[in-house]
Amino acid sequence: MRGPMISLERLFRPRSVAVVGASKTPGKIGHAVLVNLVASGFRGAIYPINPKEEEIEGLKAYPRVTDVPGPVDVAVICVPAPAVNAVAEECGRAGVGYLVVITAGFKETGREGAEREKALAAICRQYGMRMVGPNCLGIMDTSTPMNATFSANFPFQGRIAFISQSGALCAAILDWSLKRGIGFSKFISVGNKADLTEADFIEDAAADPQSKVICLYLESVEEGARFVEACRRASRTTPILVIKSGTSQAGAQAASSHTGALAGSDLAYETAFRQAGVLRVHTMEELFDLAQAFVRQPAPPGNRVAIVTNSGGPGVLAADAIENSPLTMARFEKETIDRLRKSLPAAANVFNPVDVIGDAHWDRYDAALGAVLDDPGVDGVLVVLTPTATIEPDVVAEKIVEHHRRHPEKPVLAAFLGGASVEEATRYLLGNGIPCYPFPEPAVSALAGLLRYRELSTAPAAVEEWTFPDVDRAAVEEVFSYVRRDKRVVLLGSEAFRVAESYGIPCAPSYLATTPDAARRLAEHMGFPVVLKVASPQILHKTDVGGVKVGLATPEEVKRGFVDIMESVHQHLPDSVVYGVEVQKMMPPGRELIVGVTRDVQFGPLIMFGLGGVYVNLLKDVAFRLAHGLTREEAHAMIRQTRAYTLLRGFRGERPADIEALVDTIGRVAQLVRDFPEITEMDINPVFAYEKGLAALDVKITIR
Amino acid sequence: MKSLYLLGTAPGCGKTALAVGLAQKLRDEGFTVGYFKPVGSVPTGYRRVDEDAALMDALLNMGMPPEKLTLVSAGPYYLTRYEEPGTLLEEIRETYRQASEGRDVMLIEGPGRPHLMLTLGLDAISLARHLEAQTILVSRVENDFSVDRALLFAQYLAARGVPLVGVLFNNVPRPLLDKTRGVYAPLIEREGIRVLGTLPCRPEIAAPTVQEFADVLAGEILVGEEHLDNLVEEIMIGAMTLESALGYLRRAPRKALITGGDRTDMCMAALETDTAVLILTGGLFPNVNVLARAAERGVPVMLVHYDTYTTVQKLQEVARKIKPGDAEALALCRQLVDEGVAWEAILAALRS
Repeated sequence: MRGPMISLERLFRPRSVAVVGASKTPGKIGHAVLVNLVASGFRGAIYPINPKEEEIEGLKAYPRVTDVPGPVDVAVICVPAPAVNAVAEECGRAGVGYLVVITAGFKETGREGAEREKALAAICRQYGMRMVGPNCLGIMDTSTPMNATFSANFPFQGRIAFISQSGALCAAILDWSLKRGIGFSKFISVGNKADLTEADFIEDAAADPQSKVICLYLESVEEGARFVEACRRASRTTPILVIKSGTSQAGAQAASSHTGALAGSDLAYETAFRQAGVLRVHTMEELFDLAQAFVRQPAPPGNRVAIVTNSGGPGVLAADAIENSPLTMARFEKETIDRLRKSLPAAANVFNPVDVIGDAHWDRYDAALGAVLDDPGVDGVLVVLTPTATIEPDVVAEKIVEHHRRHPEKPVLAAFLGGASVEEATRYLLGNGIPCYPFPEPAVSALAGLLRYRELSTAPAAVEEWTFPDVDRAAVEEVFSYVRRDKRVVLLGSEAFRVAESYGIPCAPSYLATTPDAARRLAEHMGFPVVLKVASPQILHKTDVGGVKVGLATPEEVKRGFVDIMESVHQHLPDSVVYGVEVQKMMPPGRELIVGVTRDVQFGPLIMFGLGGVYVNLLKDVAFRLAHGLTREEAHAMIRQTRAYTLLRGFRGERPADIEALVDTIGRVAQLVRDFPEITEMDINPVFAYEKGLAALDVKITIR
Repeated sequence: MKSLYLLGTAPGCGKTALAVGLAQKLRDEGFTVGYFKPVGSVPTGYRRVDEDAALMDALLNMGMPPEKLTLVSAGPYYLTRYEEPGTLLEEIRETYRQASEGRDVMLIEGPGRPHLMLTLGLDAISLARHLEAQTILVSRVENDFSVDRALLFAQYLAARGVPLVGVLFNNVPRPLLDKTRGVYAPLIEREGIRVLGTLPCRPEIAAPTVQEFADVLAGEILVGEEHLDNLVEEIMIGAMTLESALGYLRRAPRKALITGGDRTDMCMAALETDTAVLILTGGLFPNVNVLARAAERGVPVMLVHYDTYTTVQKLQEVARKIKPGDAEALALCRQLVDEGVAWEAILAALRS
């Protein structure tokens, strides 16, 4: 395991760069990289490496990296795949600090490539080099400046650090950003992530004063736990926006073909993003709309927004969008309303949204903006403008900038509708720190994003993971080793109960009986009434095969129930192997809940909580958290997140249920699956919650 | 010369593994052991000889070609083939005489069920009489009916006057071991029949290997040639959505996953779980990443040209066959006999 925080300072601000495979021939990648590096204005030394050339692009060429007279901080490698590892070896011997391997033909091409990639990573480790790629576009830094990619476009200097798993997307976005006037601090194409991963670049960008916001395009995450940890730390100071593709079935299939990784479930990503303080967006458009807002504007102190508009329709659209987001429409103070009345015509709307009406000149915007921004009940302003015959968009733009300078703590965003007539004003706004959008909706969603970041970054820092000292690990190990000896992966109900009980999860008493008479004895011992359930790891839906009998109140009923279950199960599933019947104490009815675990390939165990019972699949009233790093507060929050919470607090005169006991159980399940990585799935369904305490009625556990 | 006729009450009861174990044990006890299987299985597409006979021939140096050790093939339409049985019984007797020359003990293996070819008088029980063998009833255990079946055959043997050494419960699924020992065995003994042992199912010899799947499916191995001895204990068809797949995949250890070559997501999910082989149907060559990951995980990938339905149908032919060179399997057969068989009863029968 690599250490946390590593400095990538020398990667992005190298004193010297060698281009291995530099070429004289235009159209070759080795030519493009060298030309781009020179053209970007890179001030350090540039060493073309090519054994067949004396000089390239006016620079002295060297046959090998080891022949370069000075130290080499970064080597950009664009030789053919079969030659890469030998070059990397030489770089290691020459004391190169970082490799940027542009060459494709590694993991993405199959088995041989995967082996080559493994060997390449091993060479890097051996020499203590760090590597970007392979199979990437390269990296850029606009403040250094350095363009170590084969993309001819070099972005404007800006404050967005863009990290992308798709090289082609990088190239397209660069091209588009030039037209939109969007600047970047860094541009990183991570490629196959054989060494440095998104987590490393996130940590680096968070520490970089040039980067105010981090944008990620992800298809998969390399090391789930590290990614979450890196984002958790970084997002407290730097907003992280992510667009994660492969959310649909078809998308996931395409992504796993593309990256060679099994896509973790989208649910796991969603949960991980939430817990790591990452803002997820769903379109590229939204990504940059939000990024612009983050670069230029503060997060609002609260959620109350004022709208100033010169037309009714767009104003109403904006108000709708606000009401449909976590934002709300601000209610003005009397003073504000009086000021607006005084400076606006009678036909104007002085309440929110403030409508300065269609015949307005710039002065009405000026007055209205002054009034609403001074109102302490306004946390942010959205200026909507449509190009009427009277309005001077350029002057309004100037006024917006001026007013924002007076209240830099309140975000001001603009939506200037129209085309050519607002083009100049839009450019002015963007150039002067005011995000400007062509329609109200993206402006509102950007503002909502700012608010969400405020909530995330001011939430109390995650305290220690919640742990319980009073658990019996040895008892669980004993059960698992018995199950393994039996060559099973699915625990019998009685075994699953032992495991749950060992971790302090309250269970309804339950034991395995192999004969009708044993079942009777157990029932007499625990007291009537009892429930009987068939014990077979192969049977998932016991009720469907007549494998469950409830409310058995006498010894005779228990014995008959045993026989009935065995016969019914054999009739439905003649080939199934039945271990016997579980006898369980029949519990009084409680509020039916579910606590579950599924292990995601990238992010580890996910805890689920929700409303249980027969409608669980219909209502889908569930909340998820990562088991790793689960705090007491988060366990509470996941209960509050569900509608079941209303039920638990006491719905329509019912007495409240024991929520603390439930929180405790969630915490204990999380610890159980953290302590035992062999648990791949676990379901406690249902859990009955009572006024005091709770009881697990059915526990299912699968191990590996 | 003494002989033991192993009568299986139903297919899949592990007669061959038992024969392998007994043969080794007897040999170590100082007997010269021979083997004979008068009625064998029908050669199918890829199986040209009765492999059990070939195995025993190699183990015991019978010096007889396997096609001689099994003279008759008991196919479901055997009446067509043996329209005129004529001298079949004589030939069997003669071959048996040759095979048993110089042997102290002959192990005779019956076909899948004792009554096969009764019409021609060539059923195992009649043959046991003709060859003057003592019998061991080898019974698999599925449920209570298994005991009935064993008792029926035991009573029939008695009625026909064929000596029975005892009943041997073999290849017993682990969950049924306790019940077999505690309930089934006493029921048999109550009828005055000796229970010679209750041997547990051992996947190491009972579960088919990937190689056996490849043989039946004529599959092309794309990667993982070195792992064709992986044991397959479950078969699963990957046609569900990915979200639900992982749960099912995790519940099935040591599985063969059958899915289309275009289901990259399914293959990757399976490779995250305990998988013995990926069988890709429809002749669709998989994504290269699947091959890379499979190679890394030591999971063979097999490409077959059948569709999924046909593939599953074909798999019913797959059965584990112990190969002559499989020293581990041979040793395990021996160990099972050592640990679980009431040996003195068998010795007593041979000395009687």
